[in-house]
Amino acid sequence: MIKLIAACFAFYISSAFAVLEVTVLKTDEDAFPIVISPFSVTGDAKQGEAIAHIMRDNFNRSGEFNASSAKQIIGNKINFKQWQAKKIEAIVVGKLDQVSQKIFNVEIELIDTYSKKTLYAKKFAVHNSGIRRIAHYLSDQIYFALLGVKGSFDTRLAYVTVANKGQGKREYRLEISDSDAQNPQTIFRAASPILSPAWSPDQNKIAYVSFKNGRSEVFIQYPFMRRKTQKLPYFDGIASAPAWHPNGESIVLTLSKEGNKDIYAYHLSNKKLTRLTQDVGIDTEASFSPDGERIAFTSNRSGQVQVYIKHLASGKIKRATFDGSYNAKAVFSPDGKSLALVHRLDRDYRIAMLDIATQDLTIMTSNKLDESPFFSPNGSMIIYATNKGDTGVLSVVSILGQQTFELASKAGEVREPNWSHYSK
Amino acid sequence: MLKITALLTATVLLSSCSTTVEELYQKVAPRPSVVAQDDAQEHIVTQDTSSFQSTEYAGNYKRSNTQVTAAQLASAELKNTGTQFVLYFDYDGSEISESATQEIIKHANFMRDNPALNLRLEGHADERGTREYNLALGENRALAVKEVLGLYDLSSRVEVISFGEENPLMQAHDENAWKQNRRVEFVYQ
Repeated sequence: MIKLIAACFAFYISSAFAVLEVTVLKTDEDAFPIVISPFSVTGDAKQGEAIAHIMRDNFNRSGEFNASSAKQIIGNKINFKQWQAKKIEAIVVGKLDQVSQKIFNVEIELIDTYSKKTLYAKKFAVHNSGIRRIAHYLSDQIYFALLGVKGSFDTRLAYVTVANKGQGKREYRLEISDSDAQNPQTIFRAASPILSPAWSPDQNKIAYVSFKNGRSEVFIQYPFMRRKTQKLPYFDGIASAPAWHPNGESIVLTLSKEGNKDIYAYHLSNKKLTRLTQDVGIDTEASFSPDGERIAFTSNRSGQVQVYIKHLASGKIKRATFDGSYNAKAVFSPDGKSLALVHRLDRDYRIAMLDIATQDLTIMTSNKLDESPFFSPNGSMIIYATNKGDTGVLSVVSILGQQTFELASKAGEVREPNWSHYSK
Repeated sequence: MLKITALLTATVLLSSCSTTVEELYQKVAPRPSVVAQDDAQEHIVTQDTSSFQSTEYAGNYKRSNTQVTAAQLASAELKNTGTQFVLYFDYDGSEISESATQEIIKHANFMRDNPALNLRLEGHADERGTREYNLALGENRALAVKEVLGLYDLSSRVEVISFGEENPLMQAHDENAWKQNRRVEFVYQ
């Protein structure tokens, strides 16, 4: 027994290093009030509460819901009057039957407390190891049933942590986790900086920048496969700022061949390199529109740092940002209509959203040094890096402007967030 | 071109009042006696820079055998200690000021006197703005220094690397720290 505790403790130490702490910052008073009751369970009772708990956390983190627990509710014995009095608009009930040591049957139902109708119901079998994933999948389904929009729960994050190792030495880790920062795994670690991780559209690859060979180079790693990390072609100077084409077949990146920093597209299978910008200034931080027809990028060609959009078929380049003297690192929203970007306001760097058609710029954050914005796959949230006190944390803001949650590392700094597409 | 010639004049005149490069010379070898020789100055002023060959310059003074050995030992020491010199830049800028140009030219002279040494220019930015843009900016700063050294035919001995905002000298988040972090470090190898 003592031995077992020791083993558990050792495991806790080694994993604690990688764990991010999630803090829900604010729940809107007008947030959609729902109840997710503990599942009724036959067999291992822990799993029943685990599913409900993960789902409740998901909904509360979104900032759009106020999800509370209740004593176990049985689906066909709901006291609707009681819930209406408490202004609860929907109830999630569930059942979990253990059929073997590792297999569970799951039943779930979402019920509208006013119409008393079932909005969503599902029944299936799940392996013990898939409980967490199922909770995220069901969260997406229920989110859709309530709002008509897909959730961003069954997705993954990638980010970089930095820990001080003393004597000026630092350890950089490229980590991936579930969308709730649980289940973290370090996929690459180095004593030199790691930048710009980017999930491939199929969620099987991550492109990133590493200085492990002494200068910035772009790599593609396969976190779930036994496949060697691939280095993208590099010339003289920097190779950086990778972003995926939505079809996953090519990557845009910044190369400084002959010192001139321009954007190139690299086709992964035919290895063809196509130059997309040609300017004596700095062109960098390209990202594709969801339809793959345009790229947004940062350029100082006007003498100021601004965001431009290139239409790839016509070759036309248009300046997209006109407010302020510094706008950079733009990413397209999933509907392709907006950009999230870094905007300088007086002396501060904030995350802003630009309506591409109207050129309206909305400032979303209120800190001093915000950077690296990225949309959640359903477009309802923006994750970004900021400084809190003296350390870097990740923060998430809903596009309605409400701060929702924060991810901080106990071991040091966390930065460079990237949000995956949906799992297949 | 006229500007370059003027700068070259300034160099030769100024090379004796350098502080940092002075220390470098001391590390590598006893100070060469004829760096700012009068006819050398005239020679440089009248010459087109394109024909300003390092061999001509090297011919301006001779080292004794013992000095060469000392120089070799010291340059090995330079490689080991990675002696660094730092040039600072304006916010979002990679322009080389007049006084900075003069500093760089002292290094050009030093490199010519020490043909065995190569120079790595490490470009850095402060933390403001985006990381990827700063990576590009850091490279532009180092390239601007390299461009001046290129006028002395030293390009092939100069390597440029950018670290963007990733390796700040000062960890604080204020004007003073930013000023010191916008820099190019000279690392002799």
